[in-house]
Amino acid sequence: MENTSLQNARDEEIVALCQQGKSEVFDILVGRYMERAYRIALDFTHDPEEAKDLSQDAFLRAFSRIKQFDGRSTFYTWFYRLVVNICLDYMRRKKKVVWERLEWSPDEGVERRELMDTVSSPDAVAIAGEAQRKVDEALEAMPKRQRTVFLLRNQQGLSISDIAKAMETTEGTVRVYLHRAVAALRQSLVEYV
Amino acid sequence: MRKTVKNLPNACKEFEEDLVLHYYNEGSAAELKRVEEHIALCAPCRKFSDDLRRLLPQATQTEELPQSFWDNYRREVMHKIAEREERRSWWRDLFAPMQSWTVPAFAGAMVLALGITFTLDKVAWNRGGEPQPLPIPQEILSDPNSVEFFKSMDLVEALSKLEEIEGSKSEQKAPAGAHSI
Repeated sequence: MENTSLQNARDEEIVALCQQGKSEVFDILVGRYMERAYRIALDFTHDPEEAKDLSQDAFLRAFSRIKQFDGRSTFYTWFYRLVVNICLDYMRRKKKVVWERLEWSPDEGVERRELMDTVSSPDAVAIAGEAQRKVDEALEAMPKRQRTVFLLRNQQGLSISDIAKAMETTEGTVRVYLHRAVAALRQSLVEYV
Repeated sequence: MRKTVKNLPNACKEFEEDLVLHYYNEGSAAELKRVEEHIALCAPCRKFSDDLRRLLPQATQTEELPQSFWDNYRREVMHKIAEREERRSWWRDLFAPMQSWTVPAFAGAMVLALGITFTLDKVAWNRGGEPQPLPIPQEILSDPNSVEFFKSMDLVEALSKLEEIEGSKSEQKAPAGAHSI
């Protein structure tokens, strides 16, 4: 495959090739960011199918706007902005209510418990499951931008500077949102502290 | 299940945000060092910091998905892109080279052109004055007698008017005649 030689190329080099019409190399960027894009969307939607659709839509949008990418930010902050905006639009459309997440299917509960590899006894599993539910509730109850900041920092590991760029805001605002989100989360898990 | 609600000891207000940033290793080396020194001396802030270490990883859900999922995902994205490329309609290609500013400029020019056209058309309409006589239908034109007939219609109308005038004159004369008899 011709793309093999470009596997180690920088994002900006690949973007430049896409801008020149070599659309097939976009596949490399998809490979690099698909997991993170999917996870962001999953954090927002809690629905694997929706997350897949939204994150794939973000790639399509990125591809169709690739010529508008001017290199003022890194590709991934530019791309994260697209993903986050698509997810926020989705949230706006769905107008999800806070308590909606409480209606879990039993299968989902089992799947989540399987992920808790640090606990073993049935009691501990139940506690961990309950704590996880509290975390989800607290995340759902947060204002959208606060939640986005938290998810991008805590789940995606983006730096505050990158989050500020992705969300087109200041680093100071991101710090405030992050602090509030963490404080709210700690408060919601007060019984497990 | 533990359900007892505890009163959480608050961290120092002026340090709480810094403690969050410290957890995420955000900030300069000097700032991080300052926070660490404070944590060493302040029990509530140390507790806050410990809570973050224990609780925040719980908020991270990482479900490992099989490689086949990602292979399909990637293939689907590229397939959708290829489909979209194929669907690009001819007019998009036509307007693709246009700069973004040319579209509103083109639209503005079109509106202006339409405005001028309508204005001139209105002026020409007003200048037209009296309406043009209707053309004579072809079937009438083919028969010269018919043409003459229709042309004489004006004369017939004129004659009837003359008769009316004549009638009114004779009415005026009649009383005068009777008087003379």
